[in-house]
Amino acid sequence: MSAVVSPIREPLITGNKTYHQITEDLCGPTEKAPNLAWIIAFIISIAFLTFGVFCIAWTIWFGIGSWDLNRTIGWGWDITNFVWWIGIGHAGTLISAILLLFRQKWRTGVNRAAEAMTIFAVLCAALFPGIHVGRAWVVFYFFPYPNTRGPLWPNFNSPLLWDLFAISTYFTVSLLFWYTGLVPDFASVRDRAKGFRKKIYNFVSFGWTGSAKHWQRWESLSLILAGIATPLVLSVHTIVSFDFATSVIPGWHTTIFPPYFVAGAIFSGFAMVLTLMLITRKILNLEDYITIAHIESMNKIILLTGTIVGVAYLTELFIAWYSGYIYEQFAFYNRVFGPYWWSYVGMMSCNVLSPQIFWSKKMRRNIFVTFVMSIFINIGMWFERFVIIATTLARDYLPSSWSWYDPTWVEIGIYLGTMGIFFTLYLLFTRVAPVVAAAEVKSILKTSGDQYAGKNAHSHGHGHGHGHHHETTHKVEYDDTADSAPLSAATPMPETKVEEVTEVVEENTMEKVVEESIGIIDDVEDDLKKIEGIGPKIEGLLKAGGFKTFAALAGADLDAIQKILDDAGPRYRIHDPATWSAQAKMAAEGRWEELQKWQDELDGGKE
Amino acid sequence: MNKQFTFEGKQKTTLIALMVLGLVCMVLTWFAGGQFAHERFWTNFLHNVAFFTGISFLAVFVYACKVLAYSGWHSAFKRVMEAISMFLPYGLVFMLIIIAGNYLGFHHLYHWTDAAAVEADPILKGKASFLNSNFYAIYTILVVGMWIIFAYKFRSLSLQEDEDGEDDNFTAYRRMKKWAAWFLPLGGFTSAGIIWLWIMSIDAHWYSTMFAWYTTASWLVSCVAIIILLLIYLKSKGYYSFVTQEHLHDLGKYLFGFSVFWTYLWFSQYMLIWYANVGEETVYFQDRIREFPVLFYGNLLINFVLPFLVLMRNDTKRKFGTLGFVAVAVLFGHWFDFFNMIKPGSLKAAQHGHGGHDGGHGSEGGHDHHGELLIQQGTEAKAQFMGGGGHEVAEHAAEAGSFFMGFDIPGLLEIGTFLGFGALFLFVVLSALAKAPLYPEFDPYIQESLHHEVEQHAPAEHH
Repeated sequence: MSAVVSPIREPLITGNKTYHQITEDLCGPTEKAPNLAWIIAFIISIAFLTFGVFCIAWTIWFGIGSWDLNRTIGWGWDITNFVWWIGIGHAGTLISAILLLFRQKWRTGVNRAAEAMTIFAVLCAALFPGIHVGRAWVVFYFFPYPNTRGPLWPNFNSPLLWDLFAISTYFTVSLLFWYTGLVPDFASVRDRAKGFRKKIYNFVSFGWTGSAKHWQRWESLSLILAGIATPLVLSVHTIVSFDFATSVIPGWHTTIFPPYFVAGAIFSGFAMVLTLMLITRKILNLEDYITIAHIESMNKIILLTGTIVGVAYLTELFIAWYSGYIYEQFAFYNRVFGPYWWSYVGMMSCNVLSPQIFWSKKMRRNIFVTFVMSIFINIGMWFERFVIIATTLARDYLPSSWSWYDPTWVEIGIYLGTMGIFFTLYLLFTRVAPVVAAAEVKSILKTSGDQYAGKNAHSHGHGHGHGHHHETTHKVEYDDTADSAPLSAATPMPETKVEEVTEVVEENTMEKVVEESIGIIDDVEDDLKKIEGIGPKIEGLLKAGGFKTFAALAGADLDAIQKILDDAGPRYRIHDPATWSAQAKMAAEGRWEELQKWQDELDGGKE
Repeated sequence: MNKQFTFEGKQKTTLIALMVLGLVCMVLTWFAGGQFAHERFWTNFLHNVAFFTGISFLAVFVYACKVLAYSGWHSAFKRVMEAISMFLPYGLVFMLIIIAGNYLGFHHLYHWTDAAAVEADPILKGKASFLNSNFYAIYTILVVGMWIIFAYKFRSLSLQEDEDGEDDNFTAYRRMKKWAAWFLPLGGFTSAGIIWLWIMSIDAHWYSTMFAWYTTASWLVSCVAIIILLLIYLKSKGYYSFVTQEHLHDLGKYLFGFSVFWTYLWFSQYMLIWYANVGEETVYFQDRIREFPVLFYGNLLINFVLPFLVLMRNDTKRKFGTLGFVAVAVLFGHWFDFFNMIKPGSLKAAQHGHGGHDGGHGSEGGHDHHGELLIQQGTEAKAQFMGGGGHEVAEHAAEAGSFFMGFDIPGLLEIGTFLGFGALFLFVVLSALAKAPLYPEFDPYIQESLHHEVEQHAPAEHH
């Protein structure tokens, strides 16, 4: 990673943070009792979740007949919700993988929460096909399982089966990706924890020690997972789009579906990330880590992907006309002017028109507007799926079978229930793990902290070019005579660049030093065994009695020490603490040589 | 420091010689191009013009993306992208020739220009408000004209940075950002129409919503390949010492990544059409698989298998030899892809529509016959896909030996024409490059770009 940062870049960490403060700010929320807002939100989420479970149980008990699906409209809210949740699940891996490959530093502020969101969203999505089959107890038939009733296999030609593979692969890789990122942060939480909590975090961080080798492997793994996850981001929604596009149903069979679904998924995923992060940053006071610059970047992606989706909508409309195929033409006429016109209007206005306000920088940087927009887009993308699924099915080739569909309370309840699941899991997540990836934020501090980058940069990181006035000193002048690299087919093999790894390692050790030095102020202990006559047992007694440091012991009253020993029982009463405070004084003042000399003369700590 | 590129006489001579070769090949095609010589001539012309103009457009598009994404590492070689975009006006001039042809009937690239054919064909009739010479002309001129304005604006703002010198506010850069923000949606929306008109309408009955994005991806890969090749060449001449292995490594990743992306779009389009097997759509691939197998499979081999296998490793992206080799192959490969998009459709039209240009238009009922045949073809194709025989294959093979040069596969004349157009393209690019310093000293990100390093995490690499 280049250490030079252009003066034009905005800082991504504000508040003049040190490594220690980052740990404090990000690990802190997992250590405190939840506040009232969290508790209220949790209760509401659990209530929704419970209602969802009730509705699912209702569906399984009474059957799919409790929904309003009919023979014309076989897919309704269920698949709409499924696609909607899967789409939301795209932003996380996009931010972690693709933005990692593109070296977008702002990803570090939001990647953790986005990845968590991905996993929860995929869980919610996976629920729907499971319920939709009706006989939920044979749902394992989804899997290619050679069952006992003869050679009955799932249809491998069906995109629905490919979907199963795609989504389970995506889920697995996303989970690995998320967890890998969590390991060093869990270790940070562990280092600050005590007792059983420490044991748990030690277990979940795999005994991470932060050695150079650990960091190196961790970085390799992250990069490999990013490489695997990148095609997966594309593949998942591509295959979801195949569910529709491989058919011959007008309005579904269109070749642009794969990339258009992917763009739409990223679009909706970013909207949900914004919805969550704007609330999270407020409640957990993370404004220094999820800055306005982060929000602006995300809004730009929303504008971009929203416009890509817009190009796709118009392409579809145009080609439907261009094709000269009357059924195709009718499908799109029906979408725009048919009985479900309002959902098409909802889709167009929320997804294509309203994001256009992000052309204005002021709007992109306005938190309230961003929040409202993120909700709009969540709604708009839901409408998109409803338009594609229900509207298209409602009027098929045969006018006599045209139908109408309204969701029943059960279907609505299940949808609300998935919201409950999603928010319950997210709220739990904010309690057990740092919501912002601390280790990754630290890795960009020296290039993107506001003390190093941007207008108000003041201190000088090692060799970071910033601030226009310093630039001349850092400017590299290239001289072709000195630097004319010979060009040959076999240019030397690349060297392994470990600088970055070591840099992170340095930062890690540095953080420890900082943390230790800060620790000395409020809660430090010295090794009292350095004083002749004090062993581990007595050290324990003294520390329990309040003498934790050399300085404390040096100023101690002899009688007080004697009393501690007497109280501890006959085995300790025999010790003579006469020289201890004098020894401790030398130790506290750092006169180690003198102390050493004296201890040579002493006999078991006695004169 | 060698900051200023000089376009030497020797280079000019070589390029002019190649241009002459291209011209000779075009003349030869016209007079001795075998059966359908004139179709062959005009499709070769359109093929190369569309290919190189598109690359030039993509250079503007990538440039706008770079500006908007705050990308730092591109800055070192941004003058190369600017220079590539300077081919656009030439592309427009060439397109004017094709536009004139639409009106004057001296070529038969698009059979929707033939009023009689359209009259006899209900499908073409339905599309006539889009597929007509006027719309083609106006749209092409307006859109490419708009692209040219943006290309020149970016170029002049970039040069203004040099003039302004140390500028704490980066005024020129900030203005460029505004223009870039406008260009992304404008370029994104308008390029689709260009591709439909110029290329998709050759197979006038056929349609695919993916086609515009697919073609754009092809241009994108070619554009990256040309940037890589230019940088490697200029480095070998002692220029661009500040563009290092690190930059080329990242460009190599682009070449790899966008090749895979192109394949993704190719597959999505092909798979959906194959799976649904709707006659109107399937005919496109059916023709290509049965009768143009070299084009169909060659396209995938060169543009996917080769870059995928070679560029998978880290070190091949850092060795100029292998990277350059793949860039050349892929550049040719996407030219080949355009060949595959253009030639089969025009050959079909030539075979069924009118018996060769020499015979003049309207060789007895040729046109009436034509529309009917195309409709028939759709049903036929479906039948063949289901396992029927391909009688046309045999007919076709008997007609012209094993290959129909210039349609089934590119012949020597096509290669010569390609070299000629390529030389012209390079001539324009190198002339533009010579007009300004290679080193954009006052680009806000130039220092980042000079210090650019690619992280490599291979744990057990030997060095």
